[in-house]
Amino acid sequence: MGVKEFKLPDVGEGVAEGELVSWLVEAGDTVSEDQAVAEVETDKALVEVPSPYNGTVKELLAEEGEIVPVGDVIITFEVEGEGDDASAEKAPEPETEADESGDDESDDDESDDESEAVAGESAEKGADQRAETPKGRVFAAPSARRLARELNVDIQSVDGSGPGGRVTDADVQAAANGQVESGVEETESESDAGPREVSTDEKKSAVSRRDDGQSAANGAAASAEAAGRDRTLAAPATRRMAEEEGIDIDDVPTDETRDGQAFVTPEAITQYAQAQREAREAEVQADAEAAEAGGAESATEAAEDGVAERIPYRGVRRTIGQQMEKSLYTAPHVTHHDTTVVDELVDVRAEYKELAAERDVKLTYMPFVMKAIVAGLREHPILNSTLDESDPDDAEILVRDEYNIGIAVATDAGLMVPVVKNVDEKSILQLSREVNDLASRARDRKVTREEMQGGTFTITNFGAIGGEYATPIINYPETAILGLGGIEKRPVVEESEDGDDVVAKETLPLSLSIDHRVIDGADAAAFTNTVMENLRNPKLLLLE
Amino acid sequence: MVVGDISTGTDVLVIGGGPGGYVAAIRAAQRGLDTTLVEKDDYGGVCLNRGCIPSKALITGADLAHEAGNAEEMGIHADPAVDMAQMVGWKDGIVDRLTGGVEKLCKANGVNLVKGTARFKDENSVRVAHGGEGQGSESIEFDSCIVATGSRPIEIPNFSYADDPVIGSREALDMDTIPERLVVVGAGYIGMELSTVYAKLGTDVTVVEMLDDALPGYEDDVANVVKRRAKELGIEFHFGEGASEWRDSSDGGITVVTETEDGEESTYPADKVLVAVGRSPVTDTLGLDAIDLEPNERGFLETDDYARTDIDHVFAVGDVAGEPMLAHKAFKEGIVAAEVIAGEPAALDYQAVPAAVFTDPEIATVGMTEAEAEEAGFEPVVGQMPFNASGRAMTTGHTEGFCRLVADEDSGFVLGGQIVGPEASELIAEVALAVEMGATLEDVAATIHTHPTLAEVVQEAAENAEDQAIHTLNR
Repeated sequence: MGVKEFKLPDVGEGVAEGELVSWLVEAGDTVSEDQAVAEVETDKALVEVPSPYNGTVKELLAEEGEIVPVGDVIITFEVEGEGDDASAEKAPEPETEADESGDDESDDDESDDESEAVAGESAEKGADQRAETPKGRVFAAPSARRLARELNVDIQSVDGSGPGGRVTDADVQAAANGQVESGVEETESESDAGPREVSTDEKKSAVSRRDDGQSAANGAAASAEAAGRDRTLAAPATRRMAEEEGIDIDDVPTDETRDGQAFVTPEAITQYAQAQREAREAEVQADAEAAEAGGAESATEAAEDGVAERIPYRGVRRTIGQQMEKSLYTAPHVTHHDTTVVDELVDVRAEYKELAAERDVKLTYMPFVMKAIVAGLREHPILNSTLDESDPDDAEILVRDEYNIGIAVATDAGLMVPVVKNVDEKSILQLSREVNDLASRARDRKVTREEMQGGTFTITNFGAIGGEYATPIINYPETAILGLGGIEKRPVVEESEDGDDVVAKETLPLSLSIDHRVIDGADAAAFTNTVMENLRNPKLLLLE
Repeated sequence: MVVGDISTGTDVLVIGGGPGGYVAAIRAAQRGLDTTLVEKDDYGGVCLNRGCIPSKALITGADLAHEAGNAEEMGIHADPAVDMAQMVGWKDGIVDRLTGGVEKLCKANGVNLVKGTARFKDENSVRVAHGGEGQGSESIEFDSCIVATGSRPIEIPNFSYADDPVIGSREALDMDTIPERLVVVGAGYIGMELSTVYAKLGTDVTVVEMLDDALPGYEDDVANVVKRRAKELGIEFHFGEGASEWRDSSDGGITVVTETEDGEESTYPADKVLVAVGRSPVTDTLGLDAIDLEPNERGFLETDDYARTDIDHVFAVGDVAGEPMLAHKAFKEGIVAAEVIAGEPAALDYQAVPAAVFTDPEIATVGMTEAEAEEAGFEPVVGQMPFNASGRAMTTGHTEGFCRLVADEDSGFVLGGQIVGPEASELIAEVALAVEMGATLEDVAATIHTHPTLAEVVQEAAENAEDQAIHTLNR
């Protein structure tokens, strides 16, 4: 029997820490590989942490509710016939995925034992141990080697998945993704001025575990991971299938290539869709259980010093807070208000609502507003921009040529902003379907991180709950956000031959906040005018 | 600064317009960098002017003459007469076209061309002395510099290239008459190539070599194929003898004197003596003292994987940057240096550099030999195919030699190959690709090769290594 340590892995969200929400096992429990042992909530999502071993839980090293940095040992296992992690000499293990991760863990342990200054050394050592090929020779095509240089990946340290262990472009890419994530965390921990507790090596092992997972559970998790490519080859029928499943084909993981480009098959689409559904279900279930546990806890802690409830400021709430704070204190906000008459829009929507219902689509005003916004953005592209301040001395305004509109959704867990991609290319019905799906999944916390990325402009619909005007906070680094009030009958002055009349009209109040560094008030007003014109006359939207 | 001196500035200064230099200059210019190329002599360097191209031109001419005169078996009866002056003229035409092409390409890519010899003034400027008296000089300031000054033939004591009967490879390619007797000092690849040329043109060739064998650096069974053929052509070898001096002889020719380690002397009569004992890098004209850069003990400028010397913005490519002294290695280094300067993620990370010797038959190698693979920790497996089992080889009348592939038994990765035989220099490209791509024996064997071609030997060698050969007995 040997004792194996397990560290909080990079849970794939590019975050440095997570809240250990609950333990799903306790000391003495027998666990099997890939069995969930804990639930960890990061600032993005609630995830289950699977056991890398078959064995018995020896000790739980973190309290429920504790914030654990990635890389901290959270649990130890007794594992049949295994040496301790601490022992320097280890018998070679069969090359199963779990065992490989075990190996990596033990490499990390070694580096942990030593001072931080030798982190580089231990990383090298790790590479040496991995390199089974004599003299560190790497078998890879020149193009893969160039890609490694471009992505700043040491190809010697990349495990090859090609024939005979040849390093492929995909392997390099996966290693690079691991490095990027660890890079983010390094920056974060540097800003904390705390010790760097996480070696790059480990990040890689976490990534490869995620990406290369062979077991059923791992496999599902891996294929649920969005690939996020720029370009994907697929047959037209496959593309249609992806569209029907509501899947971005660039996100479907695949090992196949054609002409050097990723190639997705119908099978891959089916698998990915299934994996996504399972992942969402698992999250929902875990979420429900966590909520239950959390509820019980807060009840016992209530009623003290006149405080009804102490709610930890962490997880999603804290992320939202930090994001808001960053946005408001970075971008000088100016909010432009206006109201437009939308009688015709109300009629059109009423008229087509039933038609849409026949196609199982609940038609809301949102797709119309989105189309009107695209019209506005086309005419005033500066509002479809982000501000890249990564180099403070050389910041750049990036005017975007795609129309990805984020929809702020209030959920129990806080504000989520799923993004509808390429709004300009989709029909009102498609948009309706997509918005409804994203919003309901956001509320159920089933929306993935990828689905909340890539926005170029954001809509917040406070009117759905009630209200006319507000000051929306920009979804930084975007530069503009449109807030929608409620569509209601409001008094409107109408000119007629007999003089002015005050009549009741369906009106929509709009609040547009802009980053005044990038956008001028005149642009804001002009953009709002275009949006309003399109909303007043919904037939114009047909042109969009 | 000298009074009246013209000082210009450039992003990238390339010193030397050979294969490393001109390629670097063109690539740097393609990347939008203001690039200046300084060349003291002819564009194209040794390769175009005094090496690869002229020697291959003469080799082809000599081969043709020899083959035409030795094809009775095929029913061809001819006694070709060779007009050496005309052949050299034809060769010069090719060289002129190519060097002119290099100059045009440089200009078309926006490279500033400067004639002269560059010498460092400091880490960011050189002084270029223009050739000839009264031609003046100028200073050029640079952000980055690529040194590509190449190499020159090594002279040995008592054999000065300034003396008429002593010739180097350069002069050997420019002779307008065919010497009756030629002593070649050195049995390396240059000596062997030129020996073969002149033997085929009818010269009595004697090769003296200080070492014990010809073509050091090549495996015995590879070198032996060439040596055997050379002897068939009438070339006489004397190993273990170093040339010590030459003197005029009474018959109007010369006598070359050699000495063994034990001091035993021999003499060989000749009309010319060709010294081909190797090449040394050119660094003495650079004024390296001014930038505190020192060549290593073998005279090369040491560089890292980015072709960078110890001084961050000074790069070195080609022969001056170390062995192997091959034009294609220089091409690659030139490209890498230019791209690194342009801020691109380039690096010298090739797995192997192919090399070819244009003897009869040709030798070409890439990557590891069996012994090298073993030394590197692989368990090598070897597959071989003799050219005498190749249908196409038989139809060319050249069946000497073989193709050998070395692979890692465990993974099947091709680690290297040695080919000695007809068109080996062309055939090696497939093996080089296999090594770079990390192809396995199976990959090579399963790739359909055109029949009937010489390239089938590569496929057969791969099959042989896997005990799957059809046209030869498996190893």
